[in-house]
Amino acid sequence: MIGKGGRWLIILYVAFLTVLFLMCSTDLIIREPERKIYQIAVIIEDNRSDNYSNFRKGMDQAAKEFNVDVHFITLYDKADSGQQMELMEREQQDGADALIVVPVDEELVMGKAMTIPVVFLQPKIMENPGDGTILIDYERMGKLLANEMQNEIPTDCPVWMLTDTAGQSGMDRLFLKGADAVFSEKGRTVFVTAWDPETVLRTAMSALGENEKVVLFAENPEILTEVSGLLAENPIAAEHVGGLYGRGNTVPILNSLDSGRISGICVTDDFSIGYLSVRAAVQVLERADSIPVTADIYYIEKKNLREPDYEKLLFPIE
Amino acid sequence: MSTGRKLRLLLLLIVCMCMVLTSCQSVGKEEKKTSLRIGISLYRGDDTFITNLCNLLEEKAKEYERENGIKVTLDIQDAKGSQNIQNSQVERFISLNCDVLCINVVDRMDASVIIDRAMTAGVPVIFFNRQPVEEDMNRWEQLYYVGVDAKETAVLQGKMVVDLYKEHPEVIDRNGDGVVSYVMLEGETSHQDSLIRTEWSVQTLKDGGVPVEKITGGIANWERSQGSALMEQWLLEYPDTIELVISNNDDMALGAIDALERAQVTDVNIIGIDGTTQGLEALANGSLLGTVSANKEAYAGAIVALAVSCALGEALPADYPLVDGKYYWASQEILINQIEENQ
Repeated sequence: MIGKGGRWLIILYVAFLTVLFLMCSTDLIIREPERKIYQIAVIIEDNRSDNYSNFRKGMDQAAKEFNVDVHFITLYDKADSGQQMELMEREQQDGADALIVVPVDEELVMGKAMTIPVVFLQPKIMENPGDGTILIDYERMGKLLANEMQNEIPTDCPVWMLTDTAGQSGMDRLFLKGADAVFSEKGRTVFVTAWDPETVLRTAMSALGENEKVVLFAENPEILTEVSGLLAENPIAAEHVGGLYGRGNTVPILNSLDSGRISGICVTDDFSIGYLSVRAAVQVLERADSIPVTADIYYIEKKNLREPDYEKLLFPIE
Repeated sequence: MSTGRKLRLLLLLIVCMCMVLTSCQSVGKEEKKTSLRIGISLYRGDDTFITNLCNLLEEKAKEYERENGIKVTLDIQDAKGSQNIQNSQVERFISLNCDVLCINVVDRMDASVIIDRAMTAGVPVIFFNRQPVEEDMNRWEQLYYVGVDAKETAVLQGKMVVDLYKEHPEVIDRNGDGVVSYVMLEGETSHQDSLIRTEWSVQTLKDGGVPVEKITGGIANWERSQGSALMEQWLLEYPDTIELVISNNDDMALGAIDALERAQVTDVNIIGIDGTTQGLEALANGSLLGTVSANKEAYAGAIVALAVSCALGEALPADYPLVDGKYYWASQEILINQIEENQ
């Protein structure tokens, strides 16, 4: 028979077990401190992510280091600024803490009022860069490429600048503008033409004289990849091409550069840009100092493609 | 009421209270989902076929998002050929509340860790391209597989040569000695498709009446660079002998093309599998004789449709009928270069 004291002991014991259970299995008594995971959405200007492979590697690296949950979002249609602004709005409503945006149109998209921090990858120098800005000066990139081309191609050789019919982003426009400024200054003949394989590679090239050559300048990586692929299949057109230049560092572009089908490209360190943009967003969220960063621009040809510094830049290892 | 009974009643009340308090935490209102999150882990992000497929997955997800107004977020990670990295990625996906996982498993014999974690968290898994062993697939009803039938692929690859040989024997038997001398580029040994493709493509050639002789073969692990290195070596070891290169995939076939171009050898036929973008380019410019291409639209479409149905708890999509309630096999077709161009 259990005495009165024994009963109380049992009750106390059960109560103790209950408290222990509540402490261990629930957060009703002890609340574990929640580590804030920032939700950051990255919205690019393109409808494909092929050109962002190194950028994503850098972004993922930063996401792990800064405990960030990053969503990478492409547009439904390329270079549609209205759509990009809608997606910015949607992500804000869906609870994103910050956005990283590669603006389709820098004036329009960067002018959009948002209640959450937005880190822009600015394609040109602007008066008020804003917190955590990453600047990639595409006009300077165009100038750099044009200057390098000036050193390599004959003075009487015209340049055909190929523009995108699917829509021109701010980056494309500024890149073209920079190159055009250099060519105009040097008095080179330049034709700006909408990229269409049939018109450019068949109609226009067949009108050229037997030994007449032109140099092709692609305003974006998609056109550069396509032209390079088509020239490989079209030896007649390739005979009239004295050089193919552009920007971008996708694997097909680098393979074409290595095989000599592309003469020269301008690139940026996309891994670092991806990493720094996520870091800048976190710094803005934590109200830490965030210094605007200007990305370096490099000109690469086949002969320096295998240099260790460029290999690290083009084929980054996380 | 006796004191003993009171005590037991008190104990029962306390236990009930605990249960109520614990369950209170997880009780939520069931609402219709307006956004989905899909965690995708790739065995290797530099595999051309997987990259092509991944681009299509993004497109299909956007298509679904646009048509149905449900936001679909794809979280794509590269496991870099490491099962441990992939296991950590799965843990991260689960901790980030992914609704469904799409896994291109690194080691098909070692999918159990992923399945355990997914089962514990109640997150359905769609494996693709690399098929886990049947034992693992049967562990849970929320496991699916999307891929191509490896035997069908190999038979189609063999059939492509058989048909060509029947119509134009001189295209296949380049030196006209009555025997087609071939080399075989194989994928990694741990992949189920590699063994089946190797065995059945040659078997189909023999069954189809093509007189074949194997010169040599080697494992190039699906990689272009390794395929190129092997071919370079074989061209030195067996000069003017190789008439046909049978490759388990397009990337290795492209590697063989690279080696042939370097050695300036032109009279060798090369056949691949996958129909990758680069493979199709090689087919168009005549350096690749033919390839077997999976219907990648259907392949990616099935993965996204299954993932969405699982995440929303809806009936599985009727457009993509499952075999045994678990497997979806994408259709395949032979793509061949024009003989006239090739001659």
